[in-house]
Formats: sequence, C-alpha cells, structure tokens
Amino acid sequence: MGKVRPKKHAPYTDMTAMTDVGFLLLTFFIMTATFKTNEAEINTPTSISQIKVPDDKIMVISIDNAGKVFFGVDAQPVRVAMLDNIAQTKGVTFTDLEKTKFALQTSFGFPLNQLKAWLNMSKDQMGAVKQPGIPVDSTGTSELADWVYAARKADPGLRIALKGDNLAKFPVFKDVLSNLQSQNINKFNLITGSEAAPAGYASEEATEE
Amino acid sequence: MAAIEESGGGGGKEDGKVRAKKHSTRVDMTPMVDLAFLLITFFMLATTMSKPTSMTLAVPDKNDDKEQAQTEPLKASKVLTLFLGGDDEVYYLDGIASDDDDAKAKLGTTRYGYDLRTVIFNSQKRINAANPKDEKGNEAFVVVIKPTVASTYKNLVDVLDEMAITKSKRYALVDNLTDSEKEVLGDKIEAP
Repeated sequence: MGKVRPKKHAPYTDMTAMTDVGFLLLTFFIMTATFKTNEAEINTPTSISQIKVPDDKIMVISIDNAGKVFFGVDAQPVRVAMLDNIAQTKGVTFTDLEKTKFALQTSFGFPLNQLKAWLNMSKDQMGAVKQPGIPVDSTGTSELADWVYAARKADPGLRIALKGDNLAKFPVFKDVLSNLQSQNINKFNLITGSEAAPAGYASEEATEE
Repeated sequence: MAAIEESGGGGGKEDGKVRAKKHSTRVDMTPMVDLAFLLITFFMLATTMSKPTSMTLAVPDKNDDKEQAQTEPLKASKVLTLFLGGDDEVYYLDGIASDDDDAKAKLGTTRYGYDLRTVIFNSQKRINAANPKDEKGNEAFVVVIKPTVASTYKNLVDVLDEMAITKSKRYALVDNLTDSEKEVLGDKIEAP
C-alpha cells in the first residue's frame, strides 16, 4: 500500500579503524616476539644496569629457586660439537638421533649418566620430566666445569652468562663460581631484569667527560 | 559471531519497475578482525617483552696467591664491610675491624634499597673525607661484600647494584668469614 514506512536498516559499524589498529598491534607483536623457551622458570633479580645481554655466542648457566643448575648454549651446531667433546672426554657415545634431539634443547639439567635416558624419551616426556640439575660442588671440578670446558672447546668465542633466580641460595652461586674460576674464567655477565635507577643517579657516561 | 550486515544497497522505490539490485561494495570485515585479534592475543601471550639486561662481574684470579701476598692489608678504618644475611637483612661494620672489642656493639643492621644506600653513602663520605686519595688517584673507600650462606642470589645482585648506584669503585666479594666475624655475627647468619 501507499503507506510510508520507516526503512529498516541493520545497524552498521565501520570496522576499518578497528582493523587498522588490530593489524598495527599484530605487526608489532610479531616483530618483537621472542618466544618463551621451555626451560625452567627463573625470576631474575633486577638491576639498574643498561647493558643488554648479547643475542648470540653465549652460554647460559641458570640456577633455579631450588638451587638446581642448568646449562645451555645458543647455537645448535655448537650444542652438537659440545656433546661430541664431552662424549669424547667421558667415554660415552651418542647416536645421531640423540645428537639431533640434544641440539633442539635450549638448556638442560641432567647429570651426564642420565642424559642419554632423557634424550631417548619422546618429546612430550622430555618436557614433562623433572630435571635434577647438573651436579656442582665447591671443588671446581664437577660436571658443570666439564660442560663449560666442552662448550668453550666447541666455540672459544662463547661468552658466559649467569642467570640466577631471586631465591637461589648464595652457596650454589659460589659453587658455580668456583667451577668457572677453576678454568680461569674470571669475568662473566649476570643476567638481570632492568629497573629504573633511583632519582639523582647519573650514569657514568653522563658524569665523566 | 556478530556479523553486521546491511541489507543490499539502495532498497529501491516501489514503483513497480524491476531493477537490478545494487549490491553494496562494503566488505564484511568481521572475520578479518576476529582473526587479527586472535593472533594478537596469541603473540601477546607468547612473547616475553622486556629483554634482560646484564651486569658484568669480574672476580680476581684464584691461583695467584703469590702476588696477593705482596699487597698490603686493608686498614679497617677505610673499609665498610657488608654481611649479607638471611631474610633480606644486611649487617655492616663501618670502619671497624671485626676483631675490635666494640665490633659487636657497632654492628649495624639495615635493609636493601634506600636504607642500605644511605649507609653506603654516609660511610663513603666519611671515609673519603678522612683519608686522602692514594697515589693512583683512587678514593680511599673500600667495600667488602661478604655473602653468608643464608643470603640469596638476589641479595648479591642487589648489593652489586648498590655499588653501581653509589659509584663505589673499589669493592671486593669475599665469601669466607673469619673467626672473629663469625663471632660478631653470631647466630644471625645461620642457614634457615
């Protein structure tokens, strides 16, 4: 009929702007993404230091809150070479499959005699199993020292970083230290989170001409 | 999902004529937005944002005890000794040797952060004012850091950080306590 009816419009929102913002954020997060690794959860203390941890050529010795020690090297070829070195000195052999599996581990915390069993587990089991930590003691000649030696033999340019948990006890740190010092490694980095310097603090570069 | 659509363009006047229906050129972006936000959520949860920083720590060589014998012992009056105890407490001896009779009475207790910083600054000011710089131009003030078995890694990093903040260039990390120090500290340093 000739009646004028109000036209029915479905409400329409313009989503272009939202899409823009969405993709901008998406791009940002993809660019900055460095993925969390499956290693032990470690809450590092914070410091005012501004020095960034180097991205490559680094070995990381981690100490978790229970005092267990983990060891990791960044580059996969170095990991394999390191495993070869330690296998040679300790008289153990690893199969190629074990080596490939080992190369995929960012860090590990197993005594050498349990390492093989761990590498033979399935991928899910490897992640789920509780790692006992690498043995360290105050003599400076424990297994950690062997690993550090093997890693340095594989790549002499490796830098050493220590990553300790807030709650890790000092004696463990001391043991790790003595393992490094026994090999004449006297300079290393302590990985920390960053925090703001207290008010009134001027950095060295700013005060010294 | 919240698909928001518009019924096809113009609508058309009802004048009886059959016209080709005009289709809207608008693209429904809802699924795209859905996907984008899904990915954002994923990447936000999967990333660790703040890149860790590092502080360098150089420790003296362990094996050259021959050279160490040549250096003259530190005077207690120039030294601030910090004992890192349990429960985030710091005990300190300011310019006094641990075998001094007054040591037990003068042993101070402080907390990390601002309190410790104040202690260090006061001691630094006092010692540097009382003692001239040595021939190499170094300030007289020396801090000896003695972490005990009760202290944690965080405590150590905090103290090292304090050294950077107070610009105390000369500090030493010593991990064994002397007998007199053990006596002064008493049961404060027992592992929990």
